[in-house]
Amino acid sequence: MMINSVFKKALTNPLSKAGFIVIVGVFLLAMLAPIISPYDPDDINVKAILLAPSMQHWMGTDGLGRDVLSRMLYGSRISLLVGLVAVGISTAIGILLGAIAGYYRGWVDTVIMRLVDVMLSIPSFFLILAVIAFLTPSIINVMIVIGLTSWMGVTRLVRAEFLSLTEREFVQAARTLGAKDARLIFTHLLPNSLTPIIVSSVLGVAGAVLMESGLSFLGLGVQAPQASWGNILTDGKDYIQFAWWLSLFPGLAILITVLGYNLLGEGLRDALDPRSNSSK
Amino acid sequence: MKNFAFLNNKLPKRNAKTSSAIVFLLLLCSCGKPALNSTNEQLENLNKSYPSQSGGTLIDAMTGEPSGLISMIAGESASSAISANIFNKLLKYDKNLDLEGELAESWQVSADQKTITFKLKPNLKWADGNPLTSADVLWTWHAVIDEKTGSPYASDYQLVKKAEARNPLTFSVTYEQAYAPALDSWAGLQVLPEHLLKDQDLHTTAFARNPVGSNYYKLDSWTHGENIKLSRNASSVLGQAKIDHLVSRIIPDSSAQFLELMADSIDSMGLDPIKYARIIPARPELQQKLALYKELGNSYTYLGFNLKRKPFDDVRVRHAINYAIDKQEIIDGVYLGLGINIASPYKPGTRWSNPNLKPYPYDPTKAKALLKEAGFADTNGDGILERDGKPFSFEIVTNQNKEREKSAVLIQRRLKDVGIDVKIRAIEWASFISRFIKTGDFDAVVLGWSLGLDPDQYSIWHSSQQAPGQFNFIGYNNPTIDKLLEQGRLELDPDKRMKIYHEFARVLLDDSPIVYLSAGYGLTAIHKRVKGIDSPAPPAGVGWNSETWYIPEPLRRNEISAN
Repeated sequence: MMINSVFKKALTNPLSKAGFIVIVGVFLLAMLAPIISPYDPDDINVKAILLAPSMQHWMGTDGLGRDVLSRMLYGSRISLLVGLVAVGISTAIGILLGAIAGYYRGWVDTVIMRLVDVMLSIPSFFLILAVIAFLTPSIINVMIVIGLTSWMGVTRLVRAEFLSLTEREFVQAARTLGAKDARLIFTHLLPNSLTPIIVSSVLGVAGAVLMESGLSFLGLGVQAPQASWGNILTDGKDYIQFAWWLSLFPGLAILITVLGYNLLGEGLRDALDPRSNSSK
Repeated sequence: MKNFAFLNNKLPKRNAKTSSAIVFLLLLCSCGKPALNSTNEQLENLNKSYPSQSGGTLIDAMTGEPSGLISMIAGESASSAISANIFNKLLKYDKNLDLEGELAESWQVSADQKTITFKLKPNLKWADGNPLTSADVLWTWHAVIDEKTGSPYASDYQLVKKAEARNPLTFSVTYEQAYAPALDSWAGLQVLPEHLLKDQDLHTTAFARNPVGSNYYKLDSWTHGENIKLSRNASSVLGQAKIDHLVSRIIPDSSAQFLELMADSIDSMGLDPIKYARIIPARPELQQKLALYKELGNSYTYLGFNLKRKPFDDVRVRHAINYAIDKQEIIDGVYLGLGINIASPYKPGTRWSNPNLKPYPYDPTKAKALLKEAGFADTNGDGILERDGKPFSFEIVTNQNKEREKSAVLIQRRLKDVGIDVKIRAIEWASFISRFIKTGDFDAVVLGWSLGLDPDQYSIWHSSQQAPGQFNFIGYNNPTIDKLLEQGRLELDPDKRMKIYHEFARVLLDDSPIVYLSAGYGLTAIHKRVKGIDSPAPPAGVGWNSETWYIPEPLRRNEISAN
């Protein structure tokens, strides 16, 4: 099934349409952050500490008098960047290993799949926590570490696709005509496995955004003074009964964004699923 | 035992929660105020006066659990907070910080100032009924100086050349040279029972979790990770405390502590400036039931440089940074005005603090001029200064302490104005100490010093104190300072000694190995059911007379009583 048609079909579902709109909206806000932010996100004002939301500061101010709305807008850039880059890394690794395993089979397959099992047996959040603890916490390290620890799902998916596709007639035909491994993989197998990969990536972004927020919340992600939704949330934690706006807005932002990716991802998956097809 | 300790203000160790739990938490966050179980009538009763009476339970909270209750080994504030209620010292400070006897009835300093003879009070007893004699004091001294004990406080007591217990009531120590902080050190050493600890390894002994002392309280129970309960020691050597039970609950997260305080589940906790100055004043129901105490602590926060690294070896650079940082902004913004801009490493207003010294003013123009003089210039127009082609960029490391993190952000902002690029890293306390402080692998730190009452700061500034684990981790090496510190330890005349430390503070300010950021206030909230608290707090602090605090019966929590 072609990607375009899958997208079209997914968007007929109102929920995944909503998810798509949310994601596009968040992207627009992130890209336009320098233009629409009312203040400099790092502009400290010790005279305006922890002000409640008002006309001047729509989302209030934080413990150093910085405008929360501006920090949220700039923070969205971090969240989305981490999400995309981390998933880019994990998808690249996943496709490579999955393709090798699914195409060559035999002992290569066994080695790669056992590696996948080993990686999956470790709870990923704690694996990431442990790795980050050894590195300097920074946005780049966070992206790399999340990417390097979340490729297993894609690997399994690609391998499964390859296993079934290599048995299909058009692949057999290509092989009979003398196509080399690389040609078979890149022009015949991979394009035909792309749709499930995209679905899993969209869902993966949701996980990565959540992961980055979690790490920043624990002080292991994006470092001060750079804003991210996770560390705005940490600032709010101590004053949750008093300065609710510091927890509510970044929390909602994470919730809505992750929900958006999940809805879109689910919609795409349903659109792909032949069973949901026939039920209509 | 002098109280040099890293001022930790330890933030709670953060539990690794899963991120979905975080999101979930947010959904719950704005669900209204916790129910308050105090009615108006109860609140009115809180303000009445009551005669002093015994009984009741005082519950407080601590962020960390002690590793053991032998404080000479634990060396941590969580441990000494509990053990101070269980063990006695030879001497103690009274409300005005003058020394008085605790186990000692009197003490005498010999004419050559080298020998101190303590006379113990008669009929002292341990909680188990055994007599407490000078032999216990002697044994404790042997234990603290023993290499095997490895006490961080050993150095003060190792200067004792000879210690003896001539008879059960007499204990005397002789120093090689007159040692000015000597008496202070004997007001810090908790005396341990020889009969229970003899031939035991202090590091592994069960005694550390099940101590027998001589002070107002004895250990009742210790539930790991939950609480430590003390009850009144009937054979206390100092008389009887009013409150029957002290319970210290272990609550690592300060926001959780605050919730417990609001819900009446604990009676006291230390506050941060935002809770003290913003949250409680905004909530009348809290103001009605909590008494707030503010006292200038003997501690300060600073920005310290690694003086072994370039360019911090250059005094002009240190001066420039000092001028470039707006300390008043930090005091206003981070401490909400609850701090004092200082110019010497002593508590403002005490005799050791040199009143003629003025803090470096905020003067970015002067800072820029000094940096230029030191050879820094912005050659590539990126706003960051360079010298020899290398940009002036450094990293400030600090522990995960809200106030310190915020201070670092303000410093970062101000230094950027003069062309210095600063990165900030905030990490958890234990790894902060082991990875950065003990290895000396840092550019700059934002940290605090919590000081003892004696002005001697040999272990912080003397050039000989730079080994890993010692306190001069910034690598400060100044012969003038070394000499003054050595003189100060030997000088027993208080006025001459004061002059030495005033001069010491002046040289230190001039040399600027650290930037003083603020001397902060200790902020405490105590439930109004607790009576007998001195307000305002005397120099010795709000807790100096806690044994005479009492909780009048009508204000007590419901509890099961044996009588």
